[in-house]
Amino acid sequence: MELFAARLTATAVRFSPTNVRRLILSVHLFTALLAGSLIVILGATGSVMEFEPELDHLLHPHLSYINPGMRVLSLREIGDAVSRRFNGEPVVAYQPSLSPDLSSQVLLPSGVAYVNQYTGEVLGMRPRGQTFLGYARALHLRLASGDFGRNVMKWSGICVLLSLASGAYLWWPIKQVCIRRWGGARFWFDVHNAIGIFSLLPLAMLAATGTVLGFEDHIAPMIYKLTRSSPIPTSRSVVREPAPGAAAITPDEAVAIARVHVPGAVPYRVQMPKYGGVYVIALLYPQDTVAGGDNLVALDPYNGNVVSLSRSSDLSRGDRLLALNEAIHTGSILGMPSRIAAWLASTTVIVQLCSGLLIWLSGSRTMLGSRGSAKQERVP
Amino acid sequence: MKRTIAVVLLLTMNAMAGDLTGKWSGSFKVDGADHGVPQLLIFKQDGANLTGSGGPDQNEQYPIENGKIDGERVGFEITTGEWKFTYHLSARDARMSGDLELTSVNDKRTAKITLSKTE
Repeated sequence: MELFAARLTATAVRFSPTNVRRLILSVHLFTALLAGSLIVILGATGSVMEFEPELDHLLHPHLSYINPGMRVLSLREIGDAVSRRFNGEPVVAYQPSLSPDLSSQVLLPSGVAYVNQYTGEVLGMRPRGQTFLGYARALHLRLASGDFGRNVMKWSGICVLLSLASGAYLWWPIKQVCIRRWGGARFWFDVHNAIGIFSLLPLAMLAATGTVLGFEDHIAPMIYKLTRSSPIPTSRSVVREPAPGAAAITPDEAVAIARVHVPGAVPYRVQMPKYGGVYVIALLYPQDTVAGGDNLVALDPYNGNVVSLSRSSDLSRGDRLLALNEAIHTGSILGMPSRIAAWLASTTVIVQLCSGLLIWLSGSRTMLGSRGSAKQERVP
Repeated sequence: MKRTIAVVLLLTMNAMAGDLTGKWSGSFKVDGADHGVPQLLIFKQDGANLTGSGGPDQNEQYPIENGKIDGERVGFEITTGEWKFTYHLSARDARMSGDLELTSVNDKRTAKITLSKTE
């Protein structure tokens, strides 16, 4: 009986708030020590990716920026200008500009040509290949390696969630939201707490949506099951061989036909039939930040008949939920404000890891609660 | 003598690879991707030159560019839009395998690919 009581007491001690807090602190600390460098990579590369298009334009200003003109040239005129410049190289696809002060792109087998869509001036060519921005993306998604790196980064997202949950638990009794003293371990403790609580929600959203993306091959079937929906199939009917001497419709005619089927949307990509057998026109609803770009029209190049059509309005509930998850993760959901919020949240990961490390190195573990009481943590 | 040996060697290597003309199917999985991608390649061999088309299936085919055959070694390119696929394959009997390099304007990926002759 005495032995049982002793065990019960020991159990009570083990599960006392102090011990639970100590355990949570250990989880918080070890998660950071174990996956800290990976979490920093996720945050740093995520903040770069947040403004990847803008950074790409800044890194290639002579190819990207143009003065808006009065009349936009047709795709055929743009294609002719590119073919003249690059010795008749065939056009693989057009990527019309979505902004009046940015150039259009023409994809060729040898690279991507940038064209002023108002004057037809070919601004230059970029070859395909790895760049700094591509490397940042590769690090974020798969640690710039293969399957192993992809799995490591997937699980790092779980570590971020664990770190946030344990951090929130540790913050709760202290409720520190401002910096009380400049310099020393106390400063870093306050920085860690204040930034941690303000960035908790956006970081939790980034980490949760990123984890869904990382484990999408497992989670997507569950989402379709929960929403009682299925992915929209993207099959296309077979294009019959053209009659001898039949002329293909022009890319501009193909775009005009596509716009009839997706009214109000703007084309952002036109794939030529030599590359794939049909015209494939991708269209965008700029106001739909979740799935506005998921509009594809494939056309028979000889008679202009629709070979396949998929519209964002036809997406299933599961598709839309997965698109919503991605839009939250990329920050595109509310446009520029949410992108800035996602960028800030990604950047704070680095500050949190550094401040946490400084607290740990300065031996202030007692301050964080090795004695466990919230009262002691309130000491100014 | 050296010339004879070279000619014999070249003929032997050509015999090893055989005529590649026909349909080849298989798949590749990009390192770090979560699923494989089917491949259907329709080759036309003319000596050391290789032409034809390739893509995921019969309905979606892209032209083969810069196709070259050198003994067992087979190399060619396919541009699908943003991505260019550069194949470095080794052919033996009715099988082909090797490396695939995928490049876009900012990115570069690699994959292993295996093909077998179906027709």
